[in-house]
Amino acid sequence: MRRRAFLAATGGGLIALIGAGMAAWNQVPVIPKRPEPDADAAFGWIVHRDGRFVLTLPRVEMGQGIATALKQVACTELGVAWQAIALQLHDTSSPPVKATVGSESVALFAEPLAQACSSLRDALEAGRLEGPVAVSTRPLSALRAFRAGGLIGASPELAQGRDIVTGAALYAADVVRPGLLHGRVLRAPASPEVGSRASTWNRSEAEKIPGFVAVVEDCGSANGQAKGLGIVASRPAALDQIAEALAIEWTVDSLPEQADIARAIDIDTALSKGKLGNRVMDGAPEGTSFDISMRVDIPFAAHAQIEPRAAVAEWKHGRLMIWSGTQDAFYVRDALADVFGLDPGAVTVQTMRIGGAFGGKVLCRAEMEAAALAQAVGAPVKVQWTRAQEFAFGYHRPPSSHRLRLKLSGGRITDWDHQQMSSHILFTSAGLPVWMQAATDLVVGDPGVARGMRIPYWVDRARAAYDTIRLPVHSGPWRGLGAGPNGLVVESAMDEAARTAGADPLAFRLDHIRDPRLAEVLRRVGETANWQGTAAAEHNGIRTGRGIACGIYKENSYAAVVADVAVETTGHIRVTRLWCTHDCGLVINPDQVRAQCEGNLVWSIGMLLSDALQIEAGRITAENFHENPIPRLTEVPPIIVELIASDMPPSGAGETAIVAGPGAIANAIRAATGVRPARFPLQAEVFAT
Amino acid sequence: MDFVLNGEIQDIPDEWAEESLLNLLRDHFGLVGAKYGCGAGICGACTVIVDGVATRSCITLAESIEGAEVRSIEGLATGGALHPVQQAWLDLAVPQCGYCQAGQIMSAVALLNEIPSPSEADIDAAMDGNLCRCGTYGRIRAAIRHAAIQRAVGAT
Repeated sequence: MRRRAFLAATGGGLIALIGAGMAAWNQVPVIPKRPEPDADAAFGWIVHRDGRFVLTLPRVEMGQGIATALKQVACTELGVAWQAIALQLHDTSSPPVKATVGSESVALFAEPLAQACSSLRDALEAGRLEGPVAVSTRPLSALRAFRAGGLIGASPELAQGRDIVTGAALYAADVVRPGLLHGRVLRAPASPEVGSRASTWNRSEAEKIPGFVAVVEDCGSANGQAKGLGIVASRPAALDQIAEALAIEWTVDSLPEQADIARAIDIDTALSKGKLGNRVMDGAPEGTSFDISMRVDIPFAAHAQIEPRAAVAEWKHGRLMIWSGTQDAFYVRDALADVFGLDPGAVTVQTMRIGGAFGGKVLCRAEMEAAALAQAVGAPVKVQWTRAQEFAFGYHRPPSSHRLRLKLSGGRITDWDHQQMSSHILFTSAGLPVWMQAATDLVVGDPGVARGMRIPYWVDRARAAYDTIRLPVHSGPWRGLGAGPNGLVVESAMDEAARTAGADPLAFRLDHIRDPRLAEVLRRVGETANWQGTAAAEHNGIRTGRGIACGIYKENSYAAVVADVAVETTGHIRVTRLWCTHDCGLVINPDQVRAQCEGNLVWSIGMLLSDALQIEAGRITAENFHENPIPRLTEVPPIIVELIASDMPPSGAGETAIVAGPGAIANAIRAATGVRPARFPLQAEVFAT
Repeated sequence: MDFVLNGEIQDIPDEWAEESLLNLLRDHFGLVGAKYGCGAGICGACTVIVDGVATRSCITLAESIEGAEVRSIEGLATGGALHPVQQAWLDLAVPQCGYCQAGQIMSAVALLNEIPSPSEADIDAAMDGNLCRCGTYGRIRAAIRHAAIQRAVGAT
């Protein structure tokens, strides 16, 4: 945006601008893959006006606590009280920012914000009250927000916390516009990989429903190949009734390929046909006989966030306004501008607080539907997906099939080989056509699938390779990308290797670790959990055991976890206690980092015991939570989290503990039952006595 | 058709009679604290209190609450002072995304109204039907204990 327009939009006052100095910063730029700002572009994240500060949050808040953390940074750097800064959520009239993904918000945004605030503070102290302030960057060590003390390392009341507990926090579906109508786009019960459309429908029956407004045939871009039929009503419950009255007959062009998903990604079948194409580690294990060979299979999993995707759209004078709980407002803006033939500047996307995303809200879906329906009826329209649509039209964590082979000598692993078949994560089928995905497969593979395959252990010869196959159910980013599944697999293999070596699994790992920060979290979790080995025992038919695991997320965040489990004679598994030690560098808000660890550990329980998307013949059949269960209150044990005090640069916490939690639980089950968990989610009968 | 909503008598217009209580609250009265999560009474994000009982408003017909007393999250705080359960939720920083929390809080309020000092089993029974994908369960449990203690202290 041009500076003049920006100043007009913010109504004057003193604004910290960040522009030309960016390249000199110690950390990765904050706008790497979005349109590069020219010299005039500015980040107006922090504004001083009429004696008050406004922090426009350059991230979306979806429960990771970034609003609180960045407010702590701003207050500290400006040297002002908590109440002196008002918070507002960004829209696309702000300069572009990259998607809120990958646990990057503190790591990438805290420093630019602190730089802006420090220059703003200097300007205010010099008596300036008007105009832009050029940001003169200073070394990290000169920033107050990068030293523990005061608000840094404290846990103030959650930003928006009071709104949440009083019901005042607004999410996309809570937005009300004058004359707002309710919309839904119906699609065939079929794989999005095959063409489908409504062929006949009974409009006259639908018109009889009180509140009927319209049937809309042009609903913007298809969801994959699935063309929709839109309905609009003046009252929400009419949508169900209209959908039923229409009695739509769907035409589905063909059956999807690779409909037998388990077979399509079967790792042993793939290996029997030759080498996998994408290498993550390039070592060459020697010989063909291994001491350990294990197979692990992990299914499709839904994000299953409680807030289904939602958007409100309103057209006015050829301009489109969207309210959305998206992780990537600028992508949504650009996608809508493209489909509706608008200048991107004619589309404004206002971000709203998000009711959970976990990687699931980075495409343009409900927004597209709402915009098309609003355009068709000439009134603002809200679309919120039903729970069944969430499962059917979303994209999900891909399934993966793994083969691990290890060789040991002298109590150490000498050879490591990890082979994986999966589907796409970053270059998702939900966003990429077949031809383009074929190109990314050939050139770069899918780094999302690879994440976590590079082991943090020192072995003589290590190889890791994978291939991806396009499936009839769309896959994409899910908390931690490949790191959760790969961590589970790697840590299971480490546990088996320690058993083969006759070594304690904690000591065995330490013997293979050279990164001192990883060694430290592992030792510390052993101390807090009073680790004395796997402690397998049986009492009154209840088998108990302990497991341990650790890992590194994105090369700079560390976690180690100890799990205790109890397994009944029926094979029913309960996780009875979890300990986690976590190192993500300098911690801005320890309570919220703990909260992220707790969330990751609950997700770890889900990965072991419940996550599985119900699919038949290549299409999702799960319609609600009873067919896609998520962990419940009674399944979650006491969780003890310890944070390492560190002055290293802050790294991510939103997806770190998921590298270690699942492995620790799996290893505890192995200790308790003698059975290696290998097919997930675990079925009780496998562990019954 | 009348009912009592957060202490005030309100009319249920005829055209809203066959809507869900959730839609009535959100789209007619503008009280958007209760959320749509599953539409089938499974997740608990839509929980409000009807005549003292934690109730899934998404599967409750608006007309069925005629004459009943409905309390929603918006009606908990009195004169700017948070309800002890709301305060406990803030003190323990329970919410992550926050979407399920109005339902969690209403279930907890109904529990504590019935059982001022709930056992762990009481908490299990009252709260197991309220899902949270962020994984705030440990804090929910702790906040209920905290609120129970605060109320007991306040009552003496």
